[in-house]
Amino acid sequence: MGSDNKDNEMISALTADEFAALRQGLQGLSDTMPPRAVWHRIRAQAEAEGLLQKSVMRKGSTWFAGAGIAAAALLAFVIIPGSPPQQAEPGITVPQNLPTNTAQLSTLQTLMVQSRQLERNLRSLPDEPRVMRAGTVATISDLEDRIAAIDYQLDDPEVLMTPEDEELFWRERVRLMNSLLQLRYAQAQRAAY
Amino acid sequence: MSKFADIEIDPGIVRRAANGDVRAHEIIYRAFAAPVYSICLRFTKVPAHAEDLVQETFIEVMRSIARFRGEAALGSWIRRIAVTKALMFLRSAWTKRGQSLSDDWQDTTEGQATSHGISNHPDDAMDLDAALANLPDVARAVVWLHDVEGFTHKEIAGLMGKTESFSKSQLSRAYRRLRPMLAVTDNNTQPDAATAGTY
Repeated sequence: MGSDNKDNEMISALTADEFAALRQGLQGLSDTMPPRAVWHRIRAQAEAEGLLQKSVMRKGSTWFAGAGIAAAALLAFVIIPGSPPQQAEPGITVPQNLPTNTAQLSTLQTLMVQSRQLERNLRSLPDEPRVMRAGTVATISDLEDRIAAIDYQLDDPEVLMTPEDEELFWRERVRLMNSLLQLRYAQAQRAAY
Repeated sequence: MSKFADIEIDPGIVRRAANGDVRAHEIIYRAFAAPVYSICLRFTKVPAHAEDLVQETFIEVMRSIARFRGEAALGSWIRRIAVTKALMFLRSAWTKRGQSLSDDWQDTTEGQATSHGISNHPDDAMDLDAALANLPDVARAVVWLHDVEGFTHKEIAGLMGKTESFSKSQLSRAYRRLRPMLAVTDNNTQPDAATAGTY
């Protein structure tokens, strides 16, 4: 893959400026998510073809679902009174009662703490500006969707999830939260000038 | 550069997907659905067709991900599947109409695009989108594959079952069609003065 400049010279239809403008314009066109029903269709077909594992009950980690629900309730209680309207928050499943001494934390707990800190940082940013580039809106929405999908998986008590699985999903959540925070931070900086 | 390249997925998620984990597949779907749908929509122009192609693409991902060895990025692999599906769709649509891919320009008139410039106007993205949509199907696919996804003419030729000359010719005609709306708004640039390096 890559650009084949000699071929482009042979094509000789655009000046260098026009070519740069075209590429910039094309690459700046925003992506669109398909309707939500498409995933359900894919899942139904995959299940019919036997491409997916059957879900089984989660064992030995019901404390986690309980902690998630409790954390969600606690956060809702803390955030709602007097809060200005905010953009859609990423998931609020992070347990609040973790040890504060990082030496006592497992990898999974460390990821949970990081996730909680990232959510705090995100909430501390100013509200999103009223006018945003379509591409930025799409990217933010995309990241929030992906975080929501992970939260949905983590909160689903109907499925088996080993500690390794949980760690994997929490790591992905932290990575996406980081991306979202960086984007929102850059956006807030632009709005300030 | 292609948006597929910017999307990273933890290798552990990919491994879980290879074992048929629906949650891992949903994460992969959420990550890549938008660029896959956008490619399919740009190739077909019909949302219902694009949705079907998204479905076909991700079903293929589910069938084949156990064989994905990670030599290329996951995004490149998924993009290749999506492009192949979209091109197969174009080819079959043309076959049904009894035409070949080369006949694509017959129904269209050269020079339809209007000049607006691209640089600073909010409507320019829409204008470019519309101009792109007015190109014949195959030319539009060639422009997208070459200028957005970074495919070479050789790769495009391979995907389309055509020669490199075919790909270059489609691109050249598409550029001529798009050129009127590429008038660069910089005062120092004369749109018609093609004396500088040409592409």
